[in-house]
Parts: sequence; C-alpha cells; structure tokens
Amino acid sequence: MSQAWLPLATLATSLLVAPVIFALPERAWWARAVLNLAAALAKLALVVVMVVGLYQGRDFVFGFTVVEGVSFLLKVDALGMMFAGLSSLLWLATTVYAIGYLEESSNRKRFFGFFSLCVASTIGISLAGNLFTFLLFYEMLTLSTYPLVVHRGNPKALAAGTLYLRYTLTAGLVLLLGVVALHVLVGEVVFGEREVLTALAAEQSPLLIGLFLVLLLGLSVKAALVPLHGWLPRAMVAPAPVSALLHAVAVVKAGAFGIVRLVYDVYGIQLTFELGLLGVLTGLACVTILYGSLRALAQQELKPRLAFSTVSQVSYIVLGISLFGPFGTIAGMVHLMHQGLMKVTLFYCAGNYAEELGIRRIDELDGAGRRMPLTSLAFTLGALGMIGLPPVAGFISKWYLGLGAVQAGMPWVIAVLVASSLLNAAYFLPILHRLWFRPGPAHGLGQWPAERRLGRFETSDWLLWPTVATALFSLLAGLLAGLPFSPLDLATLVATEEYLP
Amino acid sequence: MMPGLLIALTVAWPLLVMLRNPLRLMMEHDALWRPGHRPLLLDALWASAPLPALVLALWPGEYTLVMEGWLLGGLWQLDEARRPWLMFSALLWTVAGLYARGYLAIEQQAAEAGDGDSFRRLLGLAMLWPLTLAGNLLLILAEDIPSFYLGFAVMTFSAYVLVVHAGNRDAWLGGRSYLIMALFGEALILGGLLWAVGTVETVTLSGLREGIAGAEQGGWIALLLWLGFGVKAGVAGLHVWLPLAHPVAPTPASAVLSGVMIKAGLFGWLSTLPLGDPTAGLESLGRGVIVMGLLGALGAALFGVTQRHPKAVLAYSSISQMGMLTALVGVGLATPGLWPALSATVVLFAAHHGMTKGALFLGVGISEHPPRLPIWLLWALLVLPALSLAGAVVSGLSTKWTLKAALYDGGYASLVAWLSLAAVGTTLLMARTLWRQWQERGHHHTPWRAPMPLAWLFAVLAAAGVPLWLPLAEGGAQWPPLEALPGLLWPVAVGVALALVLGLVALRVDWRVSRRLRPGDLWWGYAALAHHLLNGLVHRGRVIERRASRLRARLVAKEQRAMVALTELARYERSFRRLAVPLMIAVAVLLLIGFWLG
Repeated sequence: MSQAWLPLATLATSLLVAPVIFALPERAWWARAVLNLAAALAKLALVVVMVVGLYQGRDFVFGFTVVEGVSFLLKVDALGMMFAGLSSLLWLATTVYAIGYLEESSNRKRFFGFFSLCVASTIGISLAGNLFTFLLFYEMLTLSTYPLVVHRGNPKALAAGTLYLRYTLTAGLVLLLGVVALHVLVGEVVFGEREVLTALAAEQSPLLIGLFLVLLLGLSVKAALVPLHGWLPRAMVAPAPVSALLHAVAVVKAGAFGIVRLVYDVYGIQLTFELGLLGVLTGLACVTILYGSLRALAQQELKPRLAFSTVSQVSYIVLGISLFGPFGTIAGMVHLMHQGLMKVTLFYCAGNYAEELGIRRIDELDGAGRRMPLTSLAFTLGALGMIGLPPVAGFISKWYLGLGAVQAGMPWVIAVLVASSLLNAAYFLPILHRLWFRPGPAHGLGQWPAERRLGRFETSDWLLWPTVATALFSLLAGLLAGLPFSPLDLATLVATEEYLP
Repeated sequence: MMPGLLIALTVAWPLLVMLRNPLRLMMEHDALWRPGHRPLLLDALWASAPLPALVLALWPGEYTLVMEGWLLGGLWQLDEARRPWLMFSALLWTVAGLYARGYLAIEQQAAEAGDGDSFRRLLGLAMLWPLTLAGNLLLILAEDIPSFYLGFAVMTFSAYVLVVHAGNRDAWLGGRSYLIMALFGEALILGGLLWAVGTVETVTLSGLREGIAGAEQGGWIALLLWLGFGVKAGVAGLHVWLPLAHPVAPTPASAVLSGVMIKAGLFGWLSTLPLGDPTAGLESLGRGVIVMGLLGALGAALFGVTQRHPKAVLAYSSISQMGMLTALVGVGLATPGLWPALSATVVLFAAHHGMTKGALFLGVGISEHPPRLPIWLLWALLVLPALSLAGAVVSGLSTKWTLKAALYDGGYASLVAWLSLAAVGTTLLMARTLWRQWQERGHHHTPWRAPMPLAWLFAVLAAAGVPLWLPLAEGGAQWPPLEALPGLLWPVAVGVALALVLGLVALRVDWRVSRRLRPGDLWWGYAALAHHLLNGLVHRGRVIERRASRLRARLVAKEQRAMVALTELARYERSFRRLAVPLMIAVAVLLLIGFWLG
C-alpha cells in the first residue's frame, strides 16, 4: 500500500472544505473565495501528481473494512484518473465562474457548501475502487445536488427539484437492489477483478443478464438515457454554474461513468459482449442520440436546447463503450473528457448572455457577437465541436467512434453519427448565424432584455476568463490531440489497459 | 529544414494576416465602437496572404513536414502531384486578392470615413478571406486525413461569409443554399472517410486510396466520397448552390469560388478515390459517373443559356465544365488502365478552367466599371478567355487537344463526341454571358493603371498561358498540329452560328419562358420537398408528444391514488390500537385453554 494518503487527501480537499464553508459567516466573501480556490488548486495539483504516478506505473490504494465482506476502497486507475482530472479541472473553472455569478445573490454560504460536497462526491465516484464505495458516493451526489438545483427557491425551481429527486431516488433504489443482489451472488465486487463473474457466466447467464439490466436501469437515469431523461431539461432552472457542472462532470457524467464501470470493471467487456448486452447499449445509445437532437431542435430557449444536446451527446460515451474493440473504448473515454470541456463552455456562455444582457431565448441573441465577441467566439468553438468539425475536440471523438463502429462490425452506426452531426448543425448553426450575422441591439435595433455592465471587458472578469479558458482547452484537446497527456493519450492508455492484460 | 518551415508558413501566414486586423483594433482601444476614422483593412499586407504558397510552389524538390502532436499525427507534403494545384490556386488567390482591393475600394473609403456598417462587413471579409485561403492551401498540402478534412471544412464554412458579404435578400438565399448543400456534402464525406479509415486503419490519403481498392465495401465507400465531394464539384443534382451563391458573392470571391474552391471537390476525388487501380473493381460506378458528368455538362449548358445575370450564366458554365471533368474521373474509374495518361490531362483541364473562369468572373466586374482602354482592346481581352474556355484558342485549344488524344487512344471515341457537344454548349454560354455583359456594361470609365484592371489583365494573360507555366508531372500539354484544327474547332463554329440564330430569334420573340427559369433550378424543388417533409415531421412529433403527455398524466394520477391509499393507512392506526389489547387477551385465553386441554 504505497502512498495511500494521496487519494484520501484528494477526497479530503473538497470534503473538509465543506464544513469550513458552512462555518464561515455569509458576508465573508473573500475568505470563502480564497478557500474555494485554494482547495480547487490543491486538488488539481494532487490529481496531476497521481496522473504522473500512474504513467510511471505506481499504485495508490486506500481501504478499510466497514463490516465483514464490505470494505471502503479508494483506488487509482487510468479510467478513474480521467474522470478525476476532468472534474478537478472543471471544478476550478466553475468555482471562479460561480464566485462571479453569485456575486450579489443570497445564500452563497449554502451554495458553496453543497457545491464542495457535490464535487467531493464526484471525486469519490472517480476514485471508488469497489461497487460499495461507488454506490456510497453516487447517492451522496444525488443528495448534495438537490440544494443546488433548487437554489433560487422559486416554485419552478422547487418543482424541478422534486422531479429530480423523484427520478434519482427511485433509480438509486433500483441500483441499490442490484448491488445487493450482486453482493449476495459473488461477495464483494472490486473493480477490475472480473474473473469471479466470468466464472459464474457459464451456468447462470440469464441471472447475470437480468442483474446487468437492473444495474443499467439504475444508472441510466443519471446518464439521461431516453426514456429516463425527463428530469434533465427541467433541472435547467438551476443557476448557470450548476447547470454547467451538472452537465459536464457531475450528475450526467456520473451516470455515464457508472455505465463505463459496469461494463469494463464489473462485468468486463468480454463478458458483456458474450452475454450479448453490448447490442442493448448500442441500441439505447443510438435512440438517445437521435431523439435528443430532435428534441433540441424544437427548443426556443438557450438552456433547454443545450440540455437536450447533452442528452444526445452523453450517449456518445455509451455508444463508444458499446462498440466492442479498443477504438470504441478510446472513443467513449475521450468523449467523456471532450464533452465535458465543450458543454461546460456552452453553459458558461449561456450564463454570460443571461447575466450581462438578460438573454434567455434564442431569438434574443441577434447580433450578440458584436456586444460580447469573446463569449460568442467561445460559444462558436463549443458549438462547432459539438457538430464534430475539426479542429475542435468533438472531431476526435467522432473519428474514433467511426473507427470503433467499423471495428465492431457495425458500419451502420456511422449513419447515426452522420445524422446526429447534421442535426447538431441544424440546431447550433442558426444560433451562430444570429450571433454573428443578424443585426440586433448592438447595431442600434431594439434593446437587450436586461443589460448590465458587469466589467471592464464585455462582462465581469470572473465570468469571462473561465469561459475563454475552457473554450481554449476544447480547441487544444482537438488540435494537439497527438501530444502526451492529451485526453486522447489518456484514453488510449485506458484502452490498452482494457484490451492488453 | 527551410522548405519544411515554408510549408508551415504557407498555412500559417494567412492565419496571421487574418488575426492582424482584430489585434490591431484591440490595441487601439475599442476602435470598433468608436465613431469616426477607421484603419485601412485591405492593405498590401492583407493581399500578401497567398505569397508564401506561391514561393513554395516555385521551390524545387519534394518535401514533407511531420508534426507528431498535430491532430492524429500531422503529415504535410509538397510533391509533384500537388505542385500544379498549389501553383494555380495560389496564383488565382493572389490575383483575386489584388482585384478585391480595387473592387471594394468604395466600401473601404466609406469604412475609413466612419460608416460602421461597411466597416463591419469589410472586417468580416478581411478576416475570413485569408481563413478560406488557409483552408484551401491546407487541403492541398495535407497528406494525413484529419488535416485534409480540416482544410476542407475550414474552407467550406469560412467561404459562407464571402458569399453573404452583400447582406441583401439574394445574398442570404445564396448563402443558405450554399451552407445547406455544403453541410450535406461534409456529412457524406465524413461518413465515407470514417467508414474507409475504420476499414483500412490508416491516416494517410495514399493509404486510403489503396485501402478502398482492396476493401470489401469499397464500392459503397467510393460512392459516398464521390457524392460528398460532388456537392463541391457541382455534380448534376447536387449543383444547386452554385448558380445561387456565385452571382451574389463579390466578384473576386466568385472568381476564387468558381476557379479554385469547386476544384477542391475534384481534388478530393483524386485524393481519395482509387483512380487507375486495376484491382479496385469500380467499373460500374465509373460508368455511372460518366453518365452523370455528361448529364451535368449538357444540362447546365441548356439551362444556363436562359439566364440573365452574367455571373449566373458563368456559374452554369462552371457546372458544365465540372461535368466534363466528372466524366473524365469516371473514365479513370471505369478504365483504370487509361488513368496514367489521363491524370495529367485532368490536372491541366482543372488549372485551365480555374484560371480562365477566374479571368471571366473578374471580367464581369471590368465590363461594369470599364477602364480607360480602347474599346476594341477591352472587348478583345474580355472575349479571349471566353474563346479559350470554348476551346478555340490558346490554353483551351491545347487542353482540348491533349484530352482528345488521350481519350482516342483509350477507345472513348463516343465520349469525345459527347464532349464536343458539350463544347457547343459552352460556346453558347460564353456568347450569352458576353451579350449580357455588353448590355449591362458601365459607362463611367476608370483609370486603367489601378489594382482592379491590372489584376484582371494579369489574370487574362496567365489564363491564356496555362500550358506554358503549369508544372505538370508527366507528359505535359501538347499543341495540336494544323491538320487537326478543323476537328477541334467545329463545335465552336457550330456554337457561334447557333448563338447568332438564337440571338436573332430571341430579338423577335418575347421569350417569356426564360423569365420563369429561375437560377438554382432544382433547389426550388428540393426546398418545397423539405418544407413538406418538415411539416409532416412536426405534425408527427405533436401527435407523439400528445400521446406521451396523456400517458404521463395517467401515471401521475395512478401515483396520486397510491399516495392517497398510503395516507388512508394512518386512519386504521386507531383501530389497531383498540384491537391490540383484546387480541392479546384472546390469544392468551386460547393458549390457556390449549394448556388446560393438553
């Protein structure tokens, strides 16, 4: 057990910050900001240390037994590190953004406290070494996000919060049952030890298939697979940084990450393939991709359109892992990172438009490119990436998805990809057209819904720079995909671990 | 090292030129918002964007630039196959850039004087023109597929801004048709590339060509790629954006659109299809391609003569010429053995058409703002590229002869006859466009020693001499012997005679039909169809939505009933409490009786 303190310390950075934040008085703005940023930076540094250690082949494991047969286990592997790296990077950006966004609102103490808890759960999910630990943090995430979703406290937010709890808690129950059943069947399920289930497969394959479907059902609510996606567009009432985090790393990604763990580390891709369960995933993913895009097309407001786009895009991850072969794995993993970067950028932009100009509907965006050029440029990059155009990161995902589809012997998936690209273009390009080509209030036609001048540049510095940074990251992740430590490089590492024992 | 740097600079320099203007504006503190004097946007440095490419095209030798970290491994190359493409593309971009400085001078003056609207539109053009150029150069130089696709996409999407520059209703229509068709093209290309790359597992274009030839599904992949690039190359049926987008773009932009950018579709075919590979087995696709090519070549000529706008006529002529090139690519697929001889001819044809069509488009602007030249000289220079395109003189004559020789050797005599028929059509189109130019000619003479007329003059001369300067890898252009001339010139003679007859008839008869034949032909049909389909889809969506909400309502009602039942349970609580004591006593009594009996 070497350097066991590292995963524990990473978890502690945000878990221990939460009570301190709750203890600070509401008006201690600076103390809270410094504390939040320091914790985010510390965590990012720890994750970097662990990623470097991982490349050098070092192990980081921490664990203790809770009761006989059930243990709490934190472990570092390539898959978890990808998710941890993404969440700590985006946590830093979102913390900066949230400090600027909530500058004048009430209940900031509550917000940042639960915000820290939420990120602690995400880190816990990524470092969890067995199914029990995973479940623990997964449920903690559900509970800690609820106060963030209903932060505004108006009836609409409360209704959305209730709906959110309804969906996630029932799914949590199903997941719990599935996990307990698996424990009864084989004892403790440590991620990566797949021999137990493989040995069982010969005589009890119908049972295993049933259990897989139960677990999948439990996970797919958070992953927003159709038809269980209903809570996500409604949860749009949350403040912009929450939506950004919810869509990019926290809730939706946790669901997708859970499916990844289920396929690769509980059942193992080989077993899942032999049980014929990958086909189920492919079908689900394809339906979700197309349905999400079609629904996005019909939305008139910016954030719901982005929400349905998330429904569609997160399923790319599921699609990637459902394609049997290393390329499919690379595609799924790399999109886990890329989608996070691009979607967080888009939500920051939506938040910037809402804060600075009071824009919520798409048809109010006319000519906003002139008023807010950097934000609009960031939005353009994110949107082009979602369509899958090079050199933004989304292109790399799409490329490997295509390769994976052919490798898995399912070239028809390419048709789904192409159709989804066209649909993405159909709902993003009109927005870009409005931003850059339509004359609007910036050209002396009409007025912005509620214009405020928040900062020296187009908006407040706290809001602008995280947006620009994540947009740049999404561009560089695609443009320099061949460099070491790029998302693609990490994903390739995961795939080699998975297929070359 | 030096040439490697030069390859990188070829693509990077236009990007730097693009970024210069916004950076300069930012340095000057919100110059965008301030009323009053604005800086010159289209200056000499802006026009220098394609110069490194020109230098590279003239630099002898073959070079490769490897960049590990770039996309999925960057590999940019300059070899003998790419050199002619780079050469004529860079040359036309340079000429068009110089011409644009004159063409947009009035807008530029307005912008400098403080007209915010002109300034913004000009700023858009000043930034996106070099970006389009960078994409075009990248797609020529790239050997790795991601870079190639990147260049193609950048060129396609940034050219949208060039198309809609005028900002009026026609421009938006042209831009929309351009963008929608381009998206479909990009989607087909992406599908084809992903399928091919997944099958062959390569990242280079040469690997792709070999792989498609050997692949099991090679025919379908080739069809996807052919259709995808066919949107750009204006294949019949996919050509609808050309006549809508070309007339509305500023004239120098039309010149590069028609001269260079639609050639990118042809370049895409040459880069991805296994042309000249006898093992490919794409003969049937090749025959289909030939038929589609001839259909485009003849159909566009027939429809084009009814058009009124000279640039629309020229756009139809581009479709017709690209149809001929398509037919040649089809020959390469159907008879691979012929391709080695034909490939150089195709490149020559592409360069000849690119330069000549560029000169013709630039000439439209010249006839609108004629320079102070003797009228016979001016019109002789305007007619020269038209005759050349019809194949009667200079570069056109040489191209036609080279082509004819190659096809006759391969036993494609009937194709030659069809192409000659298409040449009659080209002659008609040229007559039509010159006639319209004459009718719409301007009367305000401008000095001839200005950027616009000089750039045009240079373009006309360069177009006339394409076979002399184009660095072709093998064979090269040939000039026809005297006795072959009648066989080459009869389509032009027939065309001129036909044009005269038609012109005389048209003067007598009120030609109503032609007013109804709007540019864009099939576009209107497609638009109506899409509208219809969309309405159906929306209707279907509403029905599904209604059913889903009914189902949801039913589920919610059930849940509420269950909740009510749960709260009802609390009412039994009191009766439970009352029951507990009698129950216990009853059990105890029963037990006692049991003990007593037992």
